Amino acid sequence: MKLNLYEDKNNTAEHVDVYYANMRPVIRQIIDSVNSERPSLQGRPADEDLDDGESVMLDPKDIYYLDHIDRKLFAYTRDGVFRLMNTLASCEEMLWNYGFVRVSKSNLINIYKIRQLKPDLNMKVYASFDNGERICINRSYKKSFNEYLQRMRRMS
Amino acid sequence: MIAKTKEYLIELCCAYAFVSVVGAIVNIIGGTETNNVNVLVMFASCAIATFVLFLHNLFDSVSPLVMIIVQYLVACALVGLMLWIISCFISPITPRGWFEYYRSFTIPYVLLAGYYYYRVFSDAKKQDNIIREIQEKKKAEEI
Repeated sequence: MKLNLYEDKNNTAEHVDVYYANMRPVIRQIIDSVNSERPSLQGRPADEDLDDGESVMLDPKDIYYLDHIDRKLFAYTRDGVFRLMNTLASCEEMLWNYGFVRVSKSNLINIYKIRQLKPDLNMKVYASFDNGERICINRSYKKSFNEYLQRMRRMS
Repeated sequence: MIAKTKEYLIELCCAYAFVSVVGAIVNIIGGTETNNVNVLVMFASCAIATFVLFLHNLFDSVSPLVMIIVQYLVACALVGLMLWIISCFISPITPRGWFEYYRSFTIPYVLLAGYYYYRVFSDAKKQDNIIREIQEKKKAEEI
């Protein structure tokens, strides 16, 4: 995508014009940024030894998947595991534009981070990520997962 | 539970209607006739098959392979019960009759299970290709 930036010190009405062919996720992300609605996920390191009490801002693009365990939500990134204070349902709603889709009761995965989707011999389908972890795509979420992929393909 | 039972009964009605119509067509073509016991066996078989397929939802957390095996074993047990009731109260069934009945439901079951197995792998491959396509488009946009 071509980006033009114009600096004008006298401009009193700063604005952004977006020319797009269709409303793709990347366009929605730009709109979110301009409207200051870009999802901000604040997390703290899940490892207590690394937790200094400071919250860390997480970019959705860096998250492989979200896991809900024992009523706690964790985000898995290349740099480690972070505990989030959001709910899985709110994250699902907030992050669908960013490639996140529900694949089980407790998992939301980032399709942009999937290295491979492959079934095991026992017919369970797993999404493998760059960090070597695998998340099972639950049978009852297969249809919605497929619909999500089709929608993202049409929009991209 | 009531909703599930209603859903089960609707599925059963559809399955039985389909099987009985196919049976009637086969009888017309073959010039054969059926009797009341056969009609009841056909209905019981539909009830068992529909019930076994309904177990699908209970095995959400286990692998599909385990689910297929468990469903087959449940179907075997229910068919055994049905044949035992028939042999006790209606007419005795010879060992050959037992064998024939088990064979007649095992063959389509194995074929359908094989098709399901194939579909899981082919669907996963298609989804993997779509993910690749979406990722490549996004990379192209970022450049």
